[in-house]
Amino acid sequence: MTTTRTENGATSRLAAHSLTLAYDDRTVVHELDLAVPDGCVTVIVGPNACGKSTTLRALGRLLKPAGGSVLLDGTELSRIPTRTIAQSVGLLPQTPVAPEAITVSDLVARGRQPHQRWWQQWSDEDERAVTEAMERTDVTALGDRPVDELSGGQRQRVWIAMALAQDTDLLLLDEPTTYLDIAHQVEVLDLVRRLAAPAADGTRGRTVVTVLHDLNQAARYADHLVAMKEGRIVAEGRPGDVVTAGLVREVFGLEAVVVPDPVTGSPLVVPGAPWAPAPAGPTG
Amino acid sequence: MSADTAAPVRTPVRPAGYRVVRVGKRGRFLVHRRAGLVAAALTVVLAAVCVAYLCVGESFVAPAEAVRVVLGQPSPDELVVGTLRLPRMVVGLLVGTAFGIAGALIQTVARNPLASPDIIGISQGASALTVGAMTFGLTSYTVLPYLSVVGGVAAAGLVYAFAWRGGLHATRFVLIGIGFAIALRSVTTLFLTKGDYLVAQQAQIWMTGSLNGRGWDEAAPIGWALLVLLPAVLWAARAQRTVSMDDDTATALGVRLGRVRLGLVALGVVLASVATGTAGPVDFVALLAPQIARRMTRTAQIPLLCSALLGAVIVVFADLLARRLFSPTELPVGVLTAAVGAPYLIWLIIRGHGGRAGGNA
Amino acid sequence: MAAAAPRLSRRALATAAAVVALLLSVLLSLAVGARSIAPSAVLDALLHGGHSDAAEVIRQMRVPRTVIGLMVGAALALAGTVLQGITRNPIADPGILGISQGASVAVVLAIAYAGIHTLTGYVWFAFGGAAVASVAVYAIASRGRGGATPVKLALGGAAINALLVSVTMAVLTTKASALDEFRFWQVGSIAGREAQVAQQIWPFLLIGTVLVVSVARGLDALALGEDVAKGLGQNVAAVRIVGGIGATVLTGAGVAAAGPIAFVGLAVPHIARAIVGSDHRWVLPMAALVGPVMLLVSDVVGRVLFPPGEVPAGVMTALIGVPFLVTLVRRKAVPA
Repeated sequence: MTTTRTENGATSRLAAHSLTLAYDDRTVVHELDLAVPDGCVTVIVGPNACGKSTTLRALGRLLKPAGGSVLLDGTELSRIPTRTIAQSVGLLPQTPVAPEAITVSDLVARGRQPHQRWWQQWSDEDERAVTEAMERTDVTALGDRPVDELSGGQRQRVWIAMALAQDTDLLLLDEPTTYLDIAHQVEVLDLVRRLAAPAADGTRGRTVVTVLHDLNQAARYADHLVAMKEGRIVAEGRPGDVVTAGLVREVFGLEAVVVPDPVTGSPLVVPGAPWAPAPAGPTG
Repeated sequence: MSADTAAPVRTPVRPAGYRVVRVGKRGRFLVHRRAGLVAAALTVVLAAVCVAYLCVGESFVAPAEAVRVVLGQPSPDELVVGTLRLPRMVVGLLVGTAFGIAGALIQTVARNPLASPDIIGISQGASALTVGAMTFGLTSYTVLPYLSVVGGVAAAGLVYAFAWRGGLHATRFVLIGIGFAIALRSVTTLFLTKGDYLVAQQAQIWMTGSLNGRGWDEAAPIGWALLVLLPAVLWAARAQRTVSMDDDTATALGVRLGRVRLGLVALGVVLASVATGTAGPVDFVALLAPQIARRMTRTAQIPLLCSALLGAVIVVFADLLARRLFSPTELPVGVLTAAVGAPYLIWLIIRGHGGRAGGNA
Repeated sequence: MAAAAPRLSRRALATAAAVVALLLSVLLSLAVGARSIAPSAVLDALLHGGHSDAAEVIRQMRVPRTVIGLMVGAALALAGTVLQGITRNPIADPGILGISQGASVAVVLAIAYAGIHTLTGYVWFAFGGAAVASVAVYAIASRGRGGATPVKLALGGAAINALLVSVTMAVLTTKASALDEFRFWQVGSIAGREAQVAQQIWPFLLIGTVLVVSVARGLDALALGEDVAKGLGQNVAAVRIVGGIGATVLTGAGVAAAGPIAFVGLAVPHIARAIVGSDHRWVLPMAALVGPVMLLVSDVVGRVLFPPGEVPAGVMTALIGVPFLVTLVRRKAVPA
C-alpha cells in the first residue's frame, strides 16, 4: 500500500495523477496532479467553470477519468469496489435529492449504508454515529420532521449530518455552505476545521476536501489551498503563501488588495474601489 | 451547536418511525412501524375479501362452509367453492400480488409515480405477440401465456437496451418506453382488424384482462414464479431504499447503481410479464397499488409488502364485482380494476396528495 | 446582435424547407397508391378537371384523404406542442389529458347505443367525448393545493384514461356488434373519409389554431418556470386554460376525423424543437408543417408497403415514429 507524499512531506491517501476529465467532447480538467494532504482541510477555489467541482467529483469516483488516474492508498479508484471506497471516502454533492417525505433521522441514517449488511440493518455503532452527527450539525431537534419541510439552511445541515454519519476518514464536500446564512456558514466551516484537527489522544484528524466559492472563507479555513483556473492548478499551498493580489488578478481577473485578516491573520482579499456614479454636473 | 468537550447525555437517535427487530445473535432488522401495521391490516382485509369471494356467487355459501372447504374438510359446497371459485380466486390473488410488486419496482426505478408496466411497453409487448398469435390461428390457451411472457420481456428488454446509454436516465427510460408502448399498441389494433370477428372478440377480452376460466392450471406457473423469485423480492425490498436518492449521493454511499437498477427492473418486468400472461394486462393495478400503499404507510420509499397485499385485494375484489355486478353477464376483471381504482386516485389528487414525480416539476 | 441574424435566417430556411417538404408530401399523397399516377397527371387533374379514371381517383379519393391528412396532422402536432408546454412534460401528448380516450369512448357508445354507423356521425360524438374528458381532467387537477400542476394533470389524465378505457372495454366485451365496427375505427386512418368530414372539422381547426397561437408567448414564459412566468407578467392560469381548450379542440377535431392516431402529438413537437429551437413562435408553425408531413408520408408508405392491402396511417406513424423518437432521445440529454 503505497502512500503518496505531498511536497512538504505530509502523507496523502488520496491523490490525482495526470488527471484529465471531460464531458462528452469538452475537456474540463487538463492533466492535473494533486496530492491531498492527510489530516487537514484542503479547499479548492477558482472562478466559475474552472473545473473545481469536476475535480472533486473525480476524487470521489463520481466521474471516470478520461486520462490519468485517482489513487486511494496507492490503488486506482476504479479497481476498488465502490462500497469499500464509501467506507473511507464520504462525498456530499452539490444538489442532493432526497426521497419524498423522508424524515431527517431516516436520511441521516442512510449515511450508514456502506457499513451495514442486509442482516445487520442497525447496530449500536450506527446509532452512535447518527446521534453524534446530528448533534454536531445541530439538527437533533428536527429528527422527526420531513426533510421537504425544512428551510434551505436546515436541509443543508441535514445533508452534512448524513455525510458525517458515514464516519469516513476522508470527506469531500461540494460547496457545503450554499443556502446558509453567515452564522451557519461559519458554524459549518468551524465544524470542518474541528473534524480535521487531531483528536485529544493525538490520532490524526480527518482529511477534508471542500470546494468553496468565497475566497476569503477559503483563506481563513484552509490548511492547504488549491487555486484552479481553466482546468489547471495555478497555485497551491498554505493560504498565507498562495493568496496574493497577483494570484487574485491571474485567477479571477479581479483587481484587489490583500491585507491580513484582523482576527486570524490569514490573507483577506479586498476588491478594488467599486463603481461609483459620476458626480452630477452643474446643469442637472 | 453543542460544545465538543465533555460528552453530554444523549438520547440515541433512530430513523423516525422505525423499530429495531433483533433476530438471533447478530441479526438486526429495521422495520417501519406504520408499514407493519398497514401490512397487518391489509392482510385482514385480504382474508375478508377472499372469504367474501368464496361466499358470494350465483349460490350463496355461508362463510363457515367456505372456510371448511378451504381447509380441506368435507362439505356440501365443495364443488362450488373448491372447484369453481377457489382456483380462480387464487389466480387473482397471485396476479394481484405480482402486479403490485412489479408496479412498485418500476415506479422506484423510473422515479415517477405514473410509471407502470405499460409505461415501458410490457403489456403492449405481451398484447402484440398474443393478439398476433391469435389472429394468425394460434388460440391454444396453454401456449398463449408463455407467448405473453416472451412478448412482455422482449419489449421491456428492447426499451432498456435503447434507453441505456452509459447509464439509465429515468426520463429517457420512460420516454422510450412510452414510444414503444404506443407503437406496439398500434400494431395490436392492426392485428385486431385482420382476423375475423370472433377472433377479434376473443382477443379483446384477453386484452381487457380477465380471470374467466382461470384455474389451478394457470395458478401453477405464476405460483411457482413467485416462489422462485421470493429471494429476489426480499433483496429488492432492501435495495429499493438505496436507489431513491439522486445518482451522485447514491454512488457516494457505495451503491452499484447500474446493477441495482437493472436488477429491480428485470424483476419487475418478469413479474409483470408472468402476471400478464396469466390474466392479460390488468395493469392498472400496477399503477394504483404502490401509490395507495405508499400513501397509507407514509414511508419514503414504496413499500413492497403492502403493495403486494393491496394488489391482491384490488384484483380479488374487482373480480368479485366483475362476476356479480351485471349478473348473469360476467365482465372481465380489467374493467373493474380501473373502475375501483381510478376514483380513489382522483380523490387523492383532489385532496392534494398529487405527489411529486422524481424529476418533473 | 450579430448572432441573431444567422439564427433568424437559419430558422427561416428550415421553415422554408419544411414547406417544400409539405408540398412534396402532398404531391406524393396524390400520386402514389395502389394505382400510381404521374405527377403531371396529378397537376392536370387538379387544375384542368377532366374525367379520366385517374382524375376521378384523385378528386374523389385522394384529395379528401390528403386534405384530411393535412388537417389532422397539423391539429395533432399543434395540440401536442401546446400540451407539452402547459404540462412542462416532454412525454405529454394529446392522450395525456384523456382527450383521445374520451373521443374513443363517445364513439363506442355511439356505435353501441345510439345506432350511429357512419364516420360523419362519429365526428360529433368524438368531439363531445374529447371535450368532456379534458374538462374532467382539468377539473380534477385544479382542485386542491397548487392548482393544475403538471404532475396533477398527468396523474388526473391517467386516472380518467383508465376509467374511460374500462368503460370502453365494458361495452366492447358485452355488446358484440360494437366491437366489430369499433375495431376498424380505433386503428386510426385517413382513408375512406369523404370530403364532408373535412368540412365538418375545419371550423374547429381554425378556432383551435387561433387559441393555440395566442398563447405562444405564454408558453415560452411558462417554459422558464411558473414563478418566472408570473414575473414576466403572464397570467399562468389563463395560458393553461386557453391553451388547454385549444389543444382539446384541435385533438377532438383530429380524433373525430381520423380516429386515434398515435405519435404525431408526442414526437412532432420534439422534432420541431430540434430544428428551430424552443421559441414557440417558431415551434408552432414548424410543428404545423412537420405534423402533416409525418402523417402523409406515413399514409403513403402504408399504401405501398404490403400491396394490395393498406397499412393504416395510425399504425405507420407509430412504426416510423418510434425510431425517430429513440434516436432523438438518445442523441441529446432529455431534460428531466
